[in-house]
Amino acid sequence: MIGIEHYIVVSAVLFVLGVLGIFLNRKNVIVILMAIELILLAVNINLVAFSAFLGDMTGQVFAMFVLTVAAGEAAIGLAILVIYFRGRGTIAVDDVNRMKG
Amino acid sequence: MVDLSQYLPILIFLIIALGLSALFVFLPMGVARLTGAHNPDAEKLSEYECGFPAFEDPRSQFDVRFYLVAILFIIFDLEAAFLFPWAVTVFDLGWSAWIGMMIFLGILTVGFVYEWKSGALDWE
Amino acid sequence: MQLQSSLALIAPEIVLSLAGLALLLIAAWSRNAGRLVTILAAVALGGASVLVAPALCSGAMGPDTLAFEGQFAADAFASFAKILIFVSAIACLMVAPRFFDRDGAIRAEYPVLMLFAALGMAIMVSATDFMTLYIGLELNSLAAYVLASFMRSDDRSAEAGLKYFVLGALASGILLYGISLVYGFTGTTSFEGARAAMSGELSMGMLFGLIFVLAGLAFKIAAVPFHMWTPDVYEGAPTPVTTFFATAPKVAAVALTARVALDAFGMQMDAWRQIVIFAALASIVVGALGAIGQSNLKRLLAYSSINNVGFILIGLAAGTAAGVSAMLVYLAIYVAMSLGSFVAVLMLRNAQGEQVEGLADIAGLSSTRPLLALCLAVMMFSLAGIPPLFGFWGKFVVFWAAVEADLVALAAIGIAASVIGAFYYIKVVKVMYFDEPAGVVTGRSDWAHWLILGVTTAAMSPLGYLLTRVLGDLADRAAEALLFVA
Repeated sequence: MIGIEHYIVVSAVLFVLGVLGIFLNRKNVIVILMAIELILLAVNINLVAFSAFLGDMTGQVFAMFVLTVAAGEAAIGLAILVIYFRGRGTIAVDDVNRMKG
Repeated sequence: MVDLSQYLPILIFLIIALGLSALFVFLPMGVARLTGAHNPDAEKLSEYECGFPAFEDPRSQFDVRFYLVAILFIIFDLEAAFLFPWAVTVFDLGWSAWIGMMIFLGILTVGFVYEWKSGALDWE
Repeated sequence: MQLQSSLALIAPEIVLSLAGLALLLIAAWSRNAGRLVTILAAVALGGASVLVAPALCSGAMGPDTLAFEGQFAADAFASFAKILIFVSAIACLMVAPRFFDRDGAIRAEYPVLMLFAALGMAIMVSATDFMTLYIGLELNSLAAYVLASFMRSDDRSAEAGLKYFVLGALASGILLYGISLVYGFTGTTSFEGARAAMSGELSMGMLFGLIFVLAGLAFKIAAVPFHMWTPDVYEGAPTPVTTFFATAPKVAAVALTARVALDAFGMQMDAWRQIVIFAALASIVVGALGAIGQSNLKRLLAYSSINNVGFILIGLAAGTAAGVSAMLVYLAIYVAMSLGSFVAVLMLRNAQGEQVEGLADIAGLSSTRPLLALCLAVMMFSLAGIPPLFGFWGKFVVFWAAVEADLVALAAIGIAASVIGAFYYIKVVKVMYFDEPAGVVTGRSDWAHWLILGVTTAAMSPLGYLLTRVLGDLADRAAEALLFVA
């Protein structure tokens, strides 16, 4: 039987992959956007699994909110990326260094 | 430890799926090779009508306006996701649910009007 | 009826959202209504502050302040934070038109985004449910990402927006992951329910949830070790936006952290206290040391804000009503100091009217612009916490609360570290008063800048001590409302 632990493990793995995707990726900012989506989807798996496990609807409602806010977040991320690309002509991560830090 | 035998159905499913899909891909190719005349030329190998070239760098740049349309699509597409659970329960929840959703749609409409007036929907 | 009383409690938020939507439409229809929309947005924020004030003055607390079945609390604590947020948002609106005049008139989207950010922050500080918290936080963050990259033609602004977005989204993800764990292991998203479920032994899942939530919030308040985005974003964002980032969102995130820590996780104080103490000390030290080598004033003030967050967190670490009250007093003083110093930076212009933000450029400012130099010097001494000025009072109440909560060692280290911090504040004053005049800053400033700088300077001068009684009284009421448990 697939229990709640399996879901938690899957979501933890996805979450770690997402965080690593942000920090280890040196190539392309689009990949960072995808990593952020991965983190949010890991959270959604958690919420829905807990919701089913607890027999409580709140988690699923929360997952809906996360989904829609994630869409808004992705849209704004892409928009900022487009502005950035227009100014600099590149979206490589290593080039995001106009200010040191 | 995890009992691996419970994953057996998935394994069988994967094998069948792989076998079937391989069959679908290779069987027509084999039949065509055996029955038809096989003499390709440049015209035949080129992309059909408006198709994209099959083998090239997938990370080519394309027009930024596609992004804009995609961005706008994502937002309105996903906000519509709220309509489904609402539609199922609106008759149980009564007027407050109806008014709440109308307010939400009103806010979306204001965003849409802004977008339209500021020219985000014009292709040129 | 319950719905009606709920709606009455969220009246300030309703005003803000309706104003935001209406102004968005005005912005869509007339392209050059920037100034008009800015004024209207400031009026809306002022109206919302007036609506919020009664709850603070009457010290509202308890079940009467809960709206929508316990998802939202319009208590005195939230009102205190909201007034700080709205006032700093108004100030940031007032200074903006002159700044954006340089490349054409101010665009109407700026005040609209400010309004939505302020609305998000108002929801944040009132949240008593993780779902409300998340919605408010994201409404604020999404508007803030756009504000950071508002100067579309400027490379640094776009880069600041991109960095802020990536790290802010990561922070939201971490926070959300923590929330999902807390939900899974307590079975509820409300703070009250989480508090009840955590009253016993802390399970492993809850502990992880708590740590993730605090880490996500630490990102938002720019506490060490999650501070790395701050200097870049503060430097790159347009200066009015930086002023905004240094004030309102800081208040909102700190108030939110206090509510989450003391309400939702209130039964497990030992679990989060060590994390908060570590973040506080690390922020003070890193903020003080990081500022030393900086040559850009905005970067320097960014490190100063990290440093100040450390002192604010000391108040939270005390975990008592006195601690929360001290934290709120410090927050109010910090907001005034930040507004003053960033507005002073905003007033530094060269002969062509362009912004100047290098430390070397303000050399000898005392001989070319004596009044401006005096105000900036007051701000710097106040930030350093040097006694006759009001900034000292904030540090004093925070340390006093820590000592009373038996955190003597924390207070001692904090006081020692604030001496390191004093070094670079005094360096700025030294550059202004004793270096050869660089003669770069010659441009004129308009009345709105002078007004804000004058008011904040007066408040930070020894005159500010007249306010201690009122401020302390209001902060006490707010703290009491936060710690009220039915």
